[in-house]
Amino acid sequence: MADDTTLTVPHPAPDSAAPAPAAPARRKEPAQPERTAETAAVGPAGPPRGDVPTADDKATNFFRVAGKRRPPVAARLLAVVNRSLALVLLAGIWEALPRIGAVDAVFVPPLSEILAAWYDLLLSGQLLEHFQASLIRSLSGFGMAILLAIPLGLAIGWYRPVAEFLSPVLELFRNTSAVALLPVFILIFGLGETSKIVFVFYACAWPILLNTVSGVRTVEPLLIKSARSMGLGPVRLFQKVILPAAVPTIFTGIRLAGAYSILVLIFAEMVGAKAGLGYLIQDTQFNFRIPDMYAGIITISALGLLFNLLLLSVERRFSTWRTT
Amino acid sequence: MSLHTAEHDSAERITAGHVTAEQGPAGPVKIGIRGVGKTFRIRGSDRPFTAVEGIDLDVREGEFLTLVGPSGCGKSTLLDLIAGLTAPTTGQILIDGRAVDGPGLDRGIVFQQYALFPWRTALANIEFGLEAKAVPKRERRERARHYLELVGLSGFEQRYPHELSGGMRQRVAIARSLAFDPDVLLMDEPFAALDAQTRESLQEELLRIWEKTNKTVVFITHGIDEAVYLGQRVAVMTSRPGRIKQVLDIEFDSREGDLRADPGFGEYRHHIWTLLRDEVAAAQEQERTVG
Repeated sequence: MADDTTLTVPHPAPDSAAPAPAAPARRKEPAQPERTAETAAVGPAGPPRGDVPTADDKATNFFRVAGKRRPPVAARLLAVVNRSLALVLLAGIWEALPRIGAVDAVFVPPLSEILAAWYDLLLSGQLLEHFQASLIRSLSGFGMAILLAIPLGLAIGWYRPVAEFLSPVLELFRNTSAVALLPVFILIFGLGETSKIVFVFYACAWPILLNTVSGVRTVEPLLIKSARSMGLGPVRLFQKVILPAAVPTIFTGIRLAGAYSILVLIFAEMVGAKAGLGYLIQDTQFNFRIPDMYAGIITISALGLLFNLLLLSVERRFSTWRTT
Repeated sequence: MSLHTAEHDSAERITAGHVTAEQGPAGPVKIGIRGVGKTFRIRGSDRPFTAVEGIDLDVREGEFLTLVGPSGCGKSTLLDLIAGLTAPTTGQILIDGRAVDGPGLDRGIVFQQYALFPWRTALANIEFGLEAKAVPKRERRERARHYLELVGLSGFEQRYPHELSGGMRQRVAIARSLAFDPDVLLMDEPFAALDAQTRESLQEELLRIWEKTNKTVVFITHGIDEAVYLGQRVAVMTSRPGRIKQVLDIEFDSREGDLRADPGFGEYRHHIWTLLRDEVAAAQEQERTVG
């Protein structure tokens, strides 16, 4: 407060700011390092000048400062190579170790053999059958979790009485491992599809529910205040402010749930199933079809990766406004 | 830039430092604040917290009133009350003679932290209030563009708030509040988070927009210079519980050139500084004891 009561040194009239081309030079003045484009864009209703800093400009400036104006295609190619380098290295080691006899080729066959086994499984139609069985189960459970957990989470986050009523039960269940409940689901729903789908649903519902609740609860209060000041009632406020503000947090929950859906399903399929990737792995291991087992494992990794990529792209569509 | 209209000039010709009553000298009263007080219940304390107390103040139509006071004196509470975001404990607030009973589109607020919706582009942010007013889409777009131009941001329609500088964000926030055409503009330290140059340029632009749109403006600040530069009248508040200590008429012969170098400007600011000095000390004492 004391600072504000002291008179500041009068600034030169903003109109006297240097013309556009001199803008970069101005930044170097030690006395005014924080000078922004605001200073220049003064004139009455004058159109803003082109040199206002933007995210894109900063990016190009960065490249300029680095001294190398790389064409974007080459830069992206380099990034791809850079990222896949570790994978290629891993594949090479996997191929080499069994071949030089460092590991037992019976238990860890070379990668090429596994890929060949994978291809055979694909041609025989077996892989597709198991893949399909798993996909239907995980998508059903995951989809149900989205449909039920998001509305429930919104209600819990928005209505305090609902939250107070439900939170002890929720607290209890979220701390109960889904895996521990699988026998219960099997007892109640039998060994068929239902128990597996319910199991996946249960595991997926928690991250979505909890993230939705926190997404609604952590909406910037100032935004709510601002919307209220413009006369928005509770319904419009929810629709136009709370929901869009919560979307990124909800998506974090959905992506987590997507990973869980595959993770827990494989477990359920290993415990009791007649099809599915989890069953494939378990079955091939029992029958000593080791390359087929690895082929199943690789397929699961690929499925998980695919799921995550898909969800990421959906997320990006819904939250283009985020800084990252 | 000639700020005061001829009408205002004749009504307000009062010598520097002269203190008038709370009642403005002319023009129909836009905002009537009558014996307003606000107390809050605070957790873990039996004693209620009195933010403001016994506030009487009239703001005339088309007037630019600045409200200055030490930090924690209840300035923002008073603004929330005028906005209808909270109800007064005692007294009442009248807009055009009618008691305020909630927020409404006849009053627009500009917050210090912009309060822009980060998922909306600049244009869509400005349209927000118009959507609340159920203005058809085509007209919404047109009006939003018009107000974006008014604040000098044409060409930035599709930018998201995080892609704009602080000053530009505040321009968008001002445009948003103007777009639904409220009679009253309530501004809560809107320029406090900006650097000095940006602040001065926005102050100048705000005056230009005010002249153009004829809004009644209540502008909260803790900067004396800002209060004197912008206000036709400056209301000085006491430390908590906030009361109106004095209301000063601000009058300059001419607003050409560097107004802040005008000897009259210095007199005003010294006068307010003297009024505030004791209040600031009292506020700091309060903060220590409540701490």
